[in-house]
Amino acid sequence: MSPVVSVSHVHLRRGGRPVLKGVHLTAQAGDIVALMGLSGSGKTTVLRLLAGLEAPDAGEVVAPPAGLVFQFHFLFEHLSALENVCLALVHVHRVPRGEAEARARRLLDDLGVGHRAEALPRHLSGGEAQRVAIARALAVDPPVLLLDEPTASLDPARRADLADLLRRLAQSGRTLVLTSHDDEFVRTVATRLLVLADGVVVESGDPQVVLSAPMHAATRRLLRQERVE
Amino acid sequence: MVRRWLGPLVALLFTAELALAQPPLRWGADAEGGAPLVEADPRNPSQMVGFDVEIAGLIARELGRRPQFVQVAFTSLDQSALRGDFDIGLGGIEDSAARRQVLGVSVPYFQFREVLTVRIADRERFQSLASLRGARVATLGGTLAYDLLRRAEATEGLTAVSYDDDVHPYEDLALGRVDAVLLDHILAERAVRRTSGLVIQPEALAVGHYVVVVPPGQTALLADVNRVLMAAMADGRLEQIFRTWEVWNEDQPPLHARVLAEGPAAVGGGTAASGESGRTAGRDALRRFAPQLVRAAGVTLVLSCAAMLLAVVLGVLIATGRVYGGRATRALLLAYVEVVRGTPVLLQLFLIYYGLAEVIRLPAFLAALLGLALNYAAYESEIYRSALEAIPQGQLEAARMLGFSRWQTLRLIRGPQALRLALAPMTNDFVALLKDSSLVSVLTVVELTKQTQIMATNIGSWLVPGLACGALYLLMSLPLSHLARRLETRWKLEGA
Repeated sequence: MSPVVSVSHVHLRRGGRPVLKGVHLTAQAGDIVALMGLSGSGKTTVLRLLAGLEAPDAGEVVAPPAGLVFQFHFLFEHLSALENVCLALVHVHRVPRGEAEARARRLLDDLGVGHRAEALPRHLSGGEAQRVAIARALAVDPPVLLLDEPTASLDPARRADLADLLRRLAQSGRTLVLTSHDDEFVRTVATRLLVLADGVVVESGDPQVVLSAPMHAATRRLLRQERVE
Repeated sequence: MVRRWLGPLVALLFTAELALAQPPLRWGADAEGGAPLVEADPRNPSQMVGFDVEIAGLIARELGRRPQFVQVAFTSLDQSALRGDFDIGLGGIEDSAARRQVLGVSVPYFQFREVLTVRIADRERFQSLASLRGARVATLGGTLAYDLLRRAEATEGLTAVSYDDDVHPYEDLALGRVDAVLLDHILAERAVRRTSGLVIQPEALAVGHYVVVVPPGQTALLADVNRVLMAAMADGRLEQIFRTWEVWNEDQPPLHARVLAEGPAAVGGGTAASGESGRTAGRDALRRFAPQLVRAAGVTLVLSCAAMLLAVVLGVLIATGRVYGGRATRALLLAYVEVVRGTPVLLQLFLIYYGLAEVIRLPAFLAALLGLALNYAAYESEIYRSALEAIPQGQLEAARMLGFSRWQTLRLIRGPQALRLALAPMTNDFVALLKDSSLVSVLTVVELTKQTQIMATNIGSWLVPGLACGALYLLMSLPLSHLARRLETRWKLEGA
């Protein structure tokens, strides 16, 4: 089975400083790939490459149109949750408004925020805003969903809900790539883990294995830091 | 030998000493009035020249004082005299009953004729005020000619256009913005020499007199001034001054004879100077002027709203160009913003109305509208630019991920949010524009402040007109601020 997304030997410099130094990554439909690493290791940059927001200096990125959920959500502040979800349907995909709204409502219901459809982003809690952001990304039904630090604004109970949701999305045939600092969350949800340090993948494999018996000093440092935080 | 020199020398020293001991004689005039009355010497602009300069010098010399020039705008001369900004005022000041009621007024020292100036092509058509029905006739505000035109508005159906100086009426006549100018023959003859294509109609519509004014209550000074003027009439020194400036004519000897015969009681004004002018009680004047003030407030409001609308549209375009444009576009727009913000709006208005006249002759209202709009567009664009840049980059990336084009992102996501951020500073600007719109009176647009000035000149006091004017401005600006606050609150709570 050919991979849905692939990143091969990618190099990227930003302001003269190398950010990625030969990163390699592939993912299949149904995969939930987690990227871990200390701040500045380059994991968010990989996500941005997959999203098409940045282009590599060298190497190749192959990815279908993806949905991206930002760490800080970046919902459109002047629009209600429902409008945030159906705006692209109406204006980019030319879906009739009534149909777009019905689809957006179904999505919000699915994600458990149907009751907040009329609320403005600034009145949503962190967890609600994140689910609205996921709904917005899913509205146009992208085959790939990218999530940057999805657990950052969630309490433990919400993290379990999110894990369920992501597993359901993967089971429906999507490819998920996410970054996280949270090794517990990665253990429960990811099918594969890549650890980045200084722009290279230093360790990868089954998250249970990698996190239980880290081979690389960077992974151990990462886990130590997680405990402290 | 020594004796022959001693007398004059002592006299000279005595005079010099006196001049040093006495405070200078401050004489107020408007240097913009120009030759042959008062103007900056073209060879040495720090010096004033003109027949009124020489008369001021004569009076000062005779009083043993050093003349000191005080610049006062022509239309403010009376108010300035009332405040005591100068000891004597002259420079084309006309004798009138209204003036005699509030100020000390000297004997008339020069007689002028009110004459019509028209374009050569209209020489046959416009010979009298009656022939100017439906036409626009310009003059200097606060003059006998203006009073004549105001009355002719009712009787002859013409439109009086008031200017703050005596140069621009003639320029606008040559440009076709007005159809005739009514002013005294001194100013008219000078204008015709300066501007080609104009001709003065021979018939005088009225006769008036130039006088010297002194602040009220200065009876001793007024008597001195009268004494000096009459002495100079008697011994021909005044005639000599007028001859030097080539304004001596057959009207002057009878005037001088009459003044010398009647003494300080001689009153000028003559044929048509008395009229509707005359001091009126404040309340009565307010009632009389109220409809005009309200109409002028309407002009202010319409002008401000239209200018703001245009400024907003242009400002949005400039801001968009500065945020999205290429390097050249951005540099060009930045240059526009800096030039407009770095120069006075008054200068811009003059340039658009008079400077551009060689290329395109904009009507006054349109020029005022454009001038204010182009100026405010620069300020608005800065507000919108910073508002656009305040929208988080993440939202723009989110929009890009969802497939929105840049234009769609601007229209649906970035613009609407920026507009909400810009609302409060925009309202401030609108209120500022409402007040700045008073500047367009220099382009002959009679808006609220100009109308107030006209009223103040007419009744000889700023107090009541000023308060009424202020109240009207507040009446317009307060609801605006209120509306903006409500909109802001509503958008803040929207969907809560």
